[in-house]
Amino acid sequence: MRSNLIEAISIDRRSAVSFTEQIKESIKALILDQTFYYQAVLPNPAHLAKHLHIETKEVQSAYDELVDVRYIKKRSNDDYEVAYFELTNYFFYRNVAIYDAIIALGMTPSIQCLEKKVVKLDNQQLLAMGFKSGEKLLYINRIYKGNDVPIIILENYLPLSVFEDMDKRFIGTEPLNAYMQKEYGIYAKLSNRVTKAVNLTSSLALLLGERKHAASIQSTNKVYDQHDRLIDYGQSHTTSSYYFQALVSRDEMNNYYQREK
Amino acid sequence: MEYLYVNKTLKVPIYKQISNSITKAIEEGQLKYNDKLPTEKEVCRTFSISHTVVKMAYEELINEHKIKRIKGKGTYVTNRLVFHTPLHEFYQLESKKVLQKVSYAYQTIMFDMIDYDIAAYRMLKLQPNEHCFVVLRIIKANQNPVLLQKIYFPEKYFPKLNLNYESTDRLFDLVETKYKHVIKHMHNTFSPMNASSDEALLLNINEDDAIYFVRSNIVSHLDQQLCYVSNYFPGEFTEFEVMVHAV
Repeated sequence: MRSNLIEAISIDRRSAVSFTEQIKESIKALILDQTFYYQAVLPNPAHLAKHLHIETKEVQSAYDELVDVRYIKKRSNDDYEVAYFELTNYFFYRNVAIYDAIIALGMTPSIQCLEKKVVKLDNQQLLAMGFKSGEKLLYINRIYKGNDVPIIILENYLPLSVFEDMDKRFIGTEPLNAYMQKEYGIYAKLSNRVTKAVNLTSSLALLLGERKHAASIQSTNKVYDQHDRLIDYGQSHTTSSYYFQALVSRDEMNNYYQREK
Repeated sequence: MEYLYVNKTLKVPIYKQISNSITKAIEEGQLKYNDKLPTEKEVCRTFSISHTVVKMAYEELINEHKIKRIKGKGTYVTNRLVFHTPLHEFYQLESKKVLQKVSYAYQTIMFDMIDYDIAAYRMLKLQPNEHCFVVLRIIKANQNPVLLQKIYFPEKYFPKLNLNYESTDRLFDLVETKYKHVIKHMHNTFSPMNASSDEALLLNINEDDAIYFVRSNIVSHLDQQLCYVSNYFPGEFTEFEVMVHAV
């Protein structure tokens, strides 16, 4: 693995672009096209410098810049690994539970519950969220982690008219989808998500182990069950190293053109 | 500050009068995106009213996302067209017509030919020294940029693009109508990033603001990597919607 990675990183000695910049861009490109995938260990700076016949500090500067933009991160033993990751299908194609998406990433999932309480929102707020007037909601705020590292933070509002006594029964660390199915026979059939890129607030940044103002994908979700009832209103924020993919076929574009005519 | 109006003889609370007059000025175009509002102190002094009243008015507008406070700089008008689209149709700007009743203006700010770019050449499976045209352009709606695009067109698929390219060209028209390629699909990768000073300037946002960065590979029915596009959407003003079904 290591020798393959080292062979993939190249520089052009005739170029006017600095070696540091070339190494940074080269590694970035290899991560973006997924030649270097999540958690792949990069050659250590001294090793790479020797291989490329340049000074270690030039490689080190490139690595430092890549750490700043969260493409890679430093491991405990002075090695570096790829930090850029995707939660398989989480935002697109299929409604995969975050918990399962973290497992698919090859990590051990865990959930930390930050807050769990019953809330009574005013009717205007309830209607804006899609709930009926007077609905009592269970609010939970949780961080999903992979190998103990924060991946995504998710707040949910769950209607207690659907999930009776959930405020008393739900501990807070259970995977939500599995819990809904097992305890209430309810499954998430459809999720409507509106995603945007936002800057993290100080408190969210602290919880996600990010710098304040780091860019994050925010998703506001409305989840409907097999009876088409709104069973969950939530908002999530990912870490800045997150990406997702979407393949759009020409047919979908065709449909789009046709609808416009 | 002439858009502010306070009538102390009315029963309408003064904070409401202030927030209403700012809202009206925004709606009527007197106040535009990124215009700076007077400080709370200046409003207090001008109308001889308490600081709490002005603070309440500004906070109401902040909660309604009409204005925002930037620490150490001041309070700014933040209303701006939000580009909202189903995620798989995010290229609607490139279609012949658009759904929203907004007119989009295309502005090309750079046209170049290169013989290497590490990331783009990997994506396009090009060898160093193969030539590639690069277009940098901004798409604006109501004067505000909704998208900054850097498009890489390999010369082998787009010969003489320098003679054929027009600023107003929509990407799909250029690929399919002018150059007769048949698109099979687009592979898109969505990620968040912080704006550099250049990107911020071109997108009319602040440095370090969030950008929705979308990289697109457009692939032909012959599996040729036709073009590679880096799309930079201003994060605060872009929403992609998706319906996700159960497994």
